[in-house]
Amino acid sequence: MKGFILGIESTAHTFSASVVSARGEILSNSKSVYKPPEGSGIHPFEASQSHLASAARVLAEAMCVSGVSQNEISAVAYAMGPGLGPCLRVGAVAARTLALSLGVPLVPVNHAVGHIELGCLLTGAQDPVVLLVSGGHTMIIAFSGGKWRILGESLDLTLGQLLDQFGRHHGLGSPCGAAIEEASSKSLNYLRLPYSVKGNDVSFSGLLTASKALLDGGESFSDVSYSIQETAFAMVTEVTERCLAFTSKNEVLIVGGVAANRRLGLMMTAMAKRHSSKVHLAPVEYSGDCGAQIAWTGLLAHEQGIEIPVDDSKVRQSWRLDTVEIPWRR
Amino acid sequence: MKSPGDADYASGKLIYCGAEADILHGEWQGLDVVYKVRKALEYRLAILDEAIRHQRTLREAEMIHQAKKAEVDTPSLYHVDPTSATLVMEFVKGDRLRDFIGRISSEELAEVFFMFGRDVAKLHTSGIMHGDLTTANVMRRGGGLVFIDFGLSLRSERLEDHAVDIRLIKETVVGAHSGVASAALEGFYKGYSSVVGAARFRQVLKQLHNIERRGRYARVA
Repeated sequence: MKGFILGIESTAHTFSASVVSARGEILSNSKSVYKPPEGSGIHPFEASQSHLASAARVLAEAMCVSGVSQNEISAVAYAMGPGLGPCLRVGAVAARTLALSLGVPLVPVNHAVGHIELGCLLTGAQDPVVLLVSGGHTMIIAFSGGKWRILGESLDLTLGQLLDQFGRHHGLGSPCGAAIEEASSKSLNYLRLPYSVKGNDVSFSGLLTASKALLDGGESFSDVSYSIQETAFAMVTEVTERCLAFTSKNEVLIVGGVAANRRLGLMMTAMAKRHSSKVHLAPVEYSGDCGAQIAWTGLLAHEQGIEIPVDDSKVRQSWRLDTVEIPWRR
Repeated sequence: MKSPGDADYASGKLIYCGAEADILHGEWQGLDVVYKVRKALEYRLAILDEAIRHQRTLREAEMIHQAKKAEVDTPSLYHVDPTSATLVMEFVKGDRLRDFIGRISSEELAEVFFMFGRDVAKLHTSGIMHGDLTTANVMRRGGGLVFIDFGLSLRSERLEDHAVDIRLIKETVVGAHSGVASAALEGFYKGYSSVVGAARFRQVLKQLHNIERRGRYARVA
């Protein structure tokens, strides 16, 4: 029986593969995450070497766990972008090879669209205002006129970059979100930090500089972690609230790596209550980068006839979400 | 008669639950008014929340007057109560641009956005950045437009700030009104340019382009 899609994700630190069925069942979601040395960020080449080393194992595991045989795969979907070039190319090579050897089409998927569509599948969100917060994105998004449109975003750093660069300044290795959340839970001492909301957009660069300065000035890591979280999360919650009020929608979906943060989820829930809106949080296993976001979105796209010839299947490091046609939504 | 400082908003009827404020329609000293109440937001730490609400309330009151000096129509401000972060303003009978944009003819659309651009340019040439120029913050009254929500406004002559203002209009129009976006922006730019002149307009557009290029994964030709 055909009808299963294999999806491959490799835009940044995660190499992951997943098999999904046409009914939206996620049959496997295997991954290997590159962890940079302490105090460092993702070095694109080092990350790609890690992906190369783990690709065969992750792919074999995804197939094995799914219980689906190779000849039941109808198409291979891959994250064509946006992301780090060397990392993207590992996933693309694996996808091309598999598509050619299995004799099935190759389906290009935008990584950000993948986060949103998987979030909708898993939470049942129908027409949400989406907060996409990760190392690569900080955007408030809603569907309109055939595309996922960006209503607000960070004008400089992403929320993930803010947390990672702050954590690395303290000597941690990326991603630092979990360690910052842990440290912040030990403090209730708010230190004043710059709060920068510009219309529907935010800016984090001043907040990062001020937070590093507080650390350098001898303030404790927990106090500054607490303060940076309270400030940055309030900023993104405020702009999400602005977009929610503006669009008059009644659902909010939070996706991306930073969606795993419990404090952010609590703030968003408190905000949504005022607007009688529902907050959907993707399960932690699926909120960060994973193969399932590519497999599921690949399935939606393939049902609409979206494919790419192997000869044209380049990667796109810059591929903005709002340029992608979404024919599977009204 | 209520004394100054006694902004009794409990009597008003909630007509709009905005992002950061409740808008209540009621009466104040015999006048037909709205109360704009920046209520405490549960998600934000109280110390941060109070500072922001206080600052934006006073900022908005100040900038409403600055805008009038620039000959841009705004609601008349009757009373400010910083303690409860409340403004008492004239009730504007009119629709928000967001709500009527979908039911006007293309001629009317061009005209409305020409006025929108012209009035934003008047603010800018008077050194005012509005800071929150979405189509929800512009209303129609008589033959003209009324600007509301000055809580994020700034005194600024900087090219960057003026371009950020226009970027938000573009983001909102493309994001929420994609069907009419190009016609709307064309009208806006004509109106803007008619006040600031072609040279300044080119500079602002260039800066807008620079800001867009800074956006994540943007490929702007």
